[in-house]
Amino acid sequence: MTRAWSLVTSLSLILVLSGLLLKNGVLLALALPYLLFSLIPFWRSMEVPQLVIERRLQPQYLWGGQPGRMTLFIRNVGNDLEEVSIADLLPAGLQVDGDFTYHGALRAGQTETCSSTVRGVRGKYEFSGARVLVSDLLGMCQSEKFVPSSMTLAVLPALERLEKLKIFPRRTRVYTGTIRSRESGAGVEFFGTRAYVSGDPLRHLNWKAGARWDLLITNLFEQERVADIGIILDARSAVEVRAGKESLFEHSVRAAASLAEYFLRAGNRVGLLVYGRMIEWTFPGYGKSQRARILAALAQAKLGEHAVFRELEHLPTRLFPSESQIVLVSPLLHDDVSMLRYLRALGYHILVISPDPISFEKPFLPQDGWTALAERIARLKRETTLTQLRRARINVVEWNLSMPLHISITQTMAGLKRWSAG
Amino acid sequence: MVRWIKRLAALGNGILIFALFYHGHTEVALFGGFLNLIWVLDEKLPHWVRGLFRSSALGTNTVLSAYAALTGLSLGLALLIAGNSLLVWNAGLFLKRWGNAPRVVQYQYLRRVGTLIAFGLLAGLLALALQGHFTLLFLPILLLMLSTGILWLRIISQALKNRKPG
Repeated sequence: MTRAWSLVTSLSLILVLSGLLLKNGVLLALALPYLLFSLIPFWRSMEVPQLVIERRLQPQYLWGGQPGRMTLFIRNVGNDLEEVSIADLLPAGLQVDGDFTYHGALRAGQTETCSSTVRGVRGKYEFSGARVLVSDLLGMCQSEKFVPSSMTLAVLPALERLEKLKIFPRRTRVYTGTIRSRESGAGVEFFGTRAYVSGDPLRHLNWKAGARWDLLITNLFEQERVADIGIILDARSAVEVRAGKESLFEHSVRAAASLAEYFLRAGNRVGLLVYGRMIEWTFPGYGKSQRARILAALAQAKLGEHAVFRELEHLPTRLFPSESQIVLVSPLLHDDVSMLRYLRALGYHILVISPDPISFEKPFLPQDGWTALAERIARLKRETTLTQLRRARINVVEWNLSMPLHISITQTMAGLKRWSAG
Repeated sequence: MVRWIKRLAALGNGILIFALFYHGHTEVALFGGFLNLIWVLDEKLPHWVRGLFRSSALGTNTVLSAYAALTGLSLGLALLIAGNSLLVWNAGLFLKRWGNAPRVVQYQYLRRVGTLIAFGLLAGLLALALQGHFTLLFLPILLLMLSTGILWLRIISQALKNRKPG
C-alpha cells in the first residue's frame, strides 16, 4: 500500500461514512470510483521480485583516483514486473559519475544493464546489494525487497616507481638477486683477491697484483642475492598530521607500497607489518601474488590507537628473520629512537623512510613569526632524532613531500659520505 | 501522451466545475476553475509543493462534487468530476514516477486507468439509477448491472486468489 492508496481510501471512506450518516445514497454512489481504486491492492497483489544482480568492474582493481567502469547486470528470473525501480546501495566514500539506478518494466528472463564510472580514494569498499521497489502502474501498491549483490572493491594506493635503492642486510637468501651478499662467488662487483688455484678462470687473473707480488693472483667477486625485507608501516595515530583534506599517513602508505613494489620487482622476499591499532602482518613472499597481497593490505590500512602499540617497543621482532633488512616508513616520534637502536643491536639492518611532517604542515599554517619559531623548534627536535638514528648506523631518508620519493632517496644517498653498509 | 490526456482532463474538469457552479455559486466556480487550471500545468510547480497540491486538489474536487451532488446541481456531472479528478491525480502520480515511460507502457497505463474509472463511473451511474435519480431503460440497466457484477466478481475472486497463506 502506498501513500496514494491511503489518500484515495480515506476519501472513499469519508464519502461512505458521510452517506451513511446523512442517509444519502448519492454520496455512496459517488464513493464507488474511489472504492474501486482502493481495492486495487487486493485485486492485484504485488509480485515478489526475483532478480539476480551481478556486477562487473573494469579493471578488476583501481589505483587511488583512477576511474573504473562498473556495470550492473539485472536479470529477472521470476514473473513479469510492470514497474520496477532498482537503486544500488553504494558504499560510503565512493564517487560515482552518474548513478546505478534502473526504472522500468522487466519481463520474465529480461536482462538490463546499467553502468557508470566509479573512483575512490585508497580503501576497501564493500558493495552489499540493491534496493528493489516493485509497484503497479497505478501506483496503488508496491513491495520493496533487498537483492544482495556483494563485491569488494579495493582501491590500491598510488605507486611511485623507485630506482636504485641500496640496502645491505647482513644475511641474504640463497637465490640470485641484486643485493650484495658479502660473500665471494659469481657476481660483477669486485670483492677481493687471493692466490690463484688450479681451475680458477684465467680471465679473472689480476695481472697488476701478480706483477707486484710475483704470484698468480685472481680476483674475487661478490655474490648478489635476494634478501628478506620487512616493511613496517607506522599507523599509530600519534604520528599522523592532518592538514586540510591531506593526510600524512596517505603519503606513508604510498611510500610503503612503492617500496614493496620495488623490492619485489628485484626478486626479494618481502613482508609487511602495519603497526598501529593492531598488528596486521602480511607474511613474507615473492612475486606478483605477494605484491597483490601487500597492496591489498595497504589498501585497508587505517590509522589507529592502542595502549599497547603506542610506542614501537612492542614491535614483534620475531616476525622478521634475524639480520634481515627492515624498512620502517614513519614520520617518527622522538621516543622511537631507543627501539630502533635496539633493533640495530639485534643485527637488523634498518632503513627509515620518514615523511617530513613539518614541511607537510607548514603551507597550511599562517605565515607569521610564531609559525616560524614553532617550525624552528620542531625542526631542531626532529634533527636531534634523526642524528641519533644516523649515529646508530641507521640509514634515514627524510622525505620532503614536495618532491617525489625517489628523488629524496637519491639525494640522501648521494649526500651521505657513506651510506651505511651495516 | 499521458501528459496531454492529464492536461486535457484537468482543463475539462475546470470547465465542468465552472459551468456547474457558475449560476448561484460564482465564488466556488471561480475557485474550482482556477484550481483545476493550475492542475493543468502542475508539473511547473516547485517540487516540494507539487505533491501537496495534487492531494489537496483531489480532495477539493471530491468535496466540490459531493457538494454539487448534495445540493442537487447535477448528479451526473458531479460523478464525472469525481472520476475525472481521479484520472488527473493518478496520471500526475504516474508522470512523477515514470515521466519518460515508453509508448507501450503509456498505452497499458491508460487502458488500465481508463477501465477502472469507466467501471467506477458505471457503478456510480447504476447506483444512482437504482436509487431513482435517473430513469433508464431496462436494457442499459441490465448491461450496467452485468458489467459491474462481473467486475466485482473478478475483484473478489482475484483478492481470494492472492490471499497470502496463513
